[in-house]
This record gives sequence, structure tokens and C-alpha cells, in this order.
Amino acid sequence: MRNFILRRAASSAIVLVLSVVTVFLSIRILPGDPVLLKYGAQTGATPAALDALRESAGLNHPMLVQLMIWLGGVVRGDFGTSFISQLPVSELVGQRIPATLELTFFIVIIASILSVLLVLIAIRKPGSATDRFIGYVTSIGFSTPSFIIGIILVYIFALRWHILPSQGFKPMDLGVVQNMKLMILPAFTGAMVVSPYLIKYLRTSILETRVSSYVRTAKGKGLSSSAVLFRHILPNSIVPTLTMLGMIVGFALGGVFVIEYMFAVPGIGSLAIESASARDYSVLQGVSVVVIAFFIITTFVFDLVCGFVDPRQRVLQVKSR
Amino acid sequence: MTFEALKQMKRMKANLRGSASLILLLGTLAIFLLANVLSPYGPNEIGVGDHFAPPSGAHLFGTDNLGRDLLSRILFGGRITVLIALGATSIALILGSAWGILAGIRGGWIDEFLMRTADALMAVPLILFALFCISALGSSVASLILVAGILLSPSTARMARSAVKAELASPYVVSAVASGFSKVRLVWNEVMVNIAPQLLVQISINAASAVMLEATLSFVGFGLQPPNASLGTLILQGYAQIYNSIWFVLFPVITVMMTILVFNNYGEQLRLSLDSKRSSS
Repeated sequence: MRNFILRRAASSAIVLVLSVVTVFLSIRILPGDPVLLKYGAQTGATPAALDALRESAGLNHPMLVQLMIWLGGVVRGDFGTSFISQLPVSELVGQRIPATLELTFFIVIIASILSVLLVLIAIRKPGSATDRFIGYVTSIGFSTPSFIIGIILVYIFALRWHILPSQGFKPMDLGVVQNMKLMILPAFTGAMVVSPYLIKYLRTSILETRVSSYVRTAKGKGLSSSAVLFRHILPNSIVPTLTMLGMIVGFALGGVFVIEYMFAVPGIGSLAIESASARDYSVLQGVSVVVIAFFIITTFVFDLVCGFVDPRQRVLQVKSR
Repeated sequence: MTFEALKQMKRMKANLRGSASLILLLGTLAIFLLANVLSPYGPNEIGVGDHFAPPSGAHLFGTDNLGRDLLSRILFGGRITVLIALGATSIALILGSAWGILAGIRGGWIDEFLMRTADALMAVPLILFALFCISALGSSVASLILVAGILLSPSTARMARSAVKAELASPYVVSAVASGFSKVRLVWNEVMVNIAPQLLVQISINAASAVMLEATLSFVGFGLQPPNASLGTLILQGYAQIYNSIWFVLFPVITVMMTILVFNNYGEQLRLSLDSKRSSS
């Protein structure tokens, strides 16, 4: 177990460092001088003054030195300051994290319940009309961008029936009911984006377990079908599903950008879109690092849980690598 | 009915589905690429009808807030979206397969490095990277193609690598290497040909993702500048007017979904036929 944890930790760390470095480099490689962007349009900006600014921002150092300085800051939780508002990036990002966490949490919960229910209905009779119908809906779900689901939900619930607000956000401490009311549409949108992946994966893995020999034995010794399902099939479908759930959290994080933006939820996703429009690269950089770190850590934790639940995982992964 | 006949019927049904998906794909492409022939009005012609007119004989899809014909706008918008998808897919194909094949045939630390890089790129949500690039490059058809193409490369590389690896382990390659064929020529002449169908699956999935990515980027405001519009821009404009007219957002939404479905469906059918071929041989 200790070896397994260490190995997973090392590989997560490598991916983390590589992607954080990529984030830094891609900003430097892409055209657009941040100093010129901010002061170039102002009157009285002489080339000498611009150069002094560049010097003070550390932009005249070699790339590698800049990278090290920036990485050093990141490790200490210092992401620099926003080019536009001059506020520390860590503060800007920090304010936005609760909303995103709340939304992601609800998305994952709703998606899990929704998918498990639908899969349990679908596999009662594989190949039946119900199963195929759920299959069709799932494959349409794969082909639907998140904002289209959002538009449909807004149209039905906000425009037609007037039962839910179409956008906005209230922090939890200003009233739980208001907060929940505003969360319903974005959370369901996200859940419906994520569910198809969960449903497809869960269905396949349950069907695979179902034909295995120990299930046949369980049936043979006279267990009722629900006992077989809950005692033998579901527990054995848990590990692949946990892996999947880890990926789902990642998907939800990726999909949350557009959803936050369209429902005006002040999370890190909408912060990313706002700062990209304003070309506020230092904020965008900070957001990326936080999102990537969150994503990789989640995958890591889920990997560990799987290794804990199913000892085979700890060994098998060595072979497959 | 014999077992063989049943099997034959099943195969024919699968073939029929496959052909249907290809015809749908080609039809969709043709409709969009022939936009200038099929459109009843100019896409940016203002005031050819009333504002927010519902669908009618003169305007099959109705009109938008400036009285432009929505059908014409969708056809031209679709053409831009499809061009972006095709361009991005080509870039992803060239970059991704070079990346994956190199990793697959070289192995060792080169493989490890290339694939870890692909992992790292895939760990970043697509949309986040896209935001970076688009905000730096500005939004134009060329930059959308470039960004979507680069973003779709890592997954293509992953797929190409596993296909090459599987192919390199097959008996004919092993015996060819044993009898002294050069590996490079072998890959170029034989392996590439054999993994082409798998790459085609990836191409159609990539095209679907590119349409989705374009629509998403346009929806959050990084699309083309007006009056030009892609399908994503049309959805954004329609959504802003959803209180005035449901048609204005409905038709672009349906078009985007159909386009993505058509690409995905073709890829799915192709993958199914590849799988059944592999399991029967």
C-alpha cells in the first residue's frame, strides 16, 4: 500500500508540474506584451517608462528565471497581482472558490443519483424498449454542449413556468432558500452534462459483472435477483465507478466554466472567462493553476480510494504501465 | 432460418446503419458548404422581413432582431462552423498522429515524455486552454481553427499511439522486422494504412468536439465579430433575445446539436464495424 501511494503521488506530481509549467510557458509564448497591453494606450507612456515597468515586473529576466520566480511564488500561495485591478490574484481567486465548490458538489451529487437510478431502471431488462430509450437519450446527451442544456432549462423553468430564477447567486449565509433556488438550474445543467458518461460507464460495468461466474453461482444457490444485485453486482461495480466519479469531478470542473458564466454564478469559471476577455493573464494563470491542481488532486484521491477498496488495483497498475 | 442467414441479416442491418450515417454526414456537409447556393437571402441582409417573424413560407426559420433571414444566417454560420471543424480536425490529425506514432515506434523515455505531456495537456480543461489562446490570438476563423486543432491533438496522439503499439505487436510486423525490413518504411507503408480506419473514427469524434468547442467559445463571447456569425454566435444572439422570440435561439440550437450528432454517429458506427471485424477474425 505504501509503495502504491508513493508511486501514484510521484506520477501525479509530475503531471502537476508539467501542466503548471505549460500554463506559464503558453502565456509567455503567446503574443501580447502585458505591459504594453496595460499602459500602451495611455498618454505619456514613454518607451523608457514602459521599460522600467517591465523591469520592475521582472519581465526582463530570462524565461527560466521568470519561471522559477513564479513557481516559487505559487508554492507560497502568491500568484502575483492582477494587471487590471492590481489586487492579489490569490485574493481574487479565493473569493470565487466557495461558489464553484458548492456548484461542483451539487453537480456531482445530482449526477450520481440520476445516473444510478437510470441505470438500475435500464438494466432490469437489457435490450428492452426502456433500456434502448435511455441509451438514445444518453447518446444525445454526449452530443449536447452544456450551454444548450442550460438554455432549454432556462426556457422551461424560468420563462415558461416562472418557478425558478434564470440567473444569479446568493451566498449561503444570506439565506439558504434563496441560495438553493438559484443553484437548482446550474446544478441540474451540470448534472445533465455529466450524467451520460456516468450512465454509459456504469451500465457497461454492471453488465460485465452480471455475466461473471460468481454471479451465476449466487443465482444458482437460489438468491433473489435483488439480493444478487445489491450484494454481489453493485459492490463489484463500485471500483470502476469510483474511477469514473473521479473523472466526473474533473469534467464537472471543466464544464462549470460555461455554466457559471451563463447563470452568473461568481465562481472561478466565470472569473476565468472574465479575465480572458479582459486579457488579465496573471489572473487567468492563477485560475488555471488552481483548477489543474484541484483536478489532479481529485484524481489522485480517487485512485487511492480505489486502491484501498480493491487491492488488485495496487498491483495491476504496475503491470499495465 | 439458419444461423448463417440470421448472421447475414444482422450484418446487412449494420451495413445499412453505417451507410445511413455516412449519407447523413455527407448530406450535412453538402448543405453547409453549398450555403451560397441554397440560401434564399444574403446572411447579413438587414430588413428582408419583419423583426422576430415566426417561421413562414417566405422565411422558413423566421427572422432575427434586425429582420435578417434566419435560415440564410444558419446556412452561412454552419458553413463557417464546419470549415472550422474540418480545419481543426486536419491539424489535430497531422499533429496528433505524428506525436502518437513517434511515441509508439520509439518507445522508451521518448514515449514516456511524449505521453506524460499529453496527459498533462489533457488534465487542463479544454475550455480553459482555449480561453488562453483565443484571448491572446484574438478571435478569427484562423485562430479558432488553430486553437481547436491544437487542443484536440493530445487525445488523437493517445489513440494513434495505442493503435500503432497494437499493430507493431502483430505477427506480420514481427516477421517483417525479423526479415530485415526497415522499421520506418514498415510504419509508413503498412502500419499507417492499417491504422487509418481507427484514425478515421478519431477524426469524426474530433470534428464533433471541434463543433462543440467552437459553439462554446462563441457562446461565451470569443466568437467572430458581427455581422459575421458562426452557429455558436447565432445561439448567443438568440439567447439574448429569448424573451422576444423562441425561434431565434431554437433553430441554431437544433442545428448545432444535429451537426454534432451526425459526426458522432458516423464515428460510432465506424467504431462498431471495426470492433465486429476484429472480434470475428
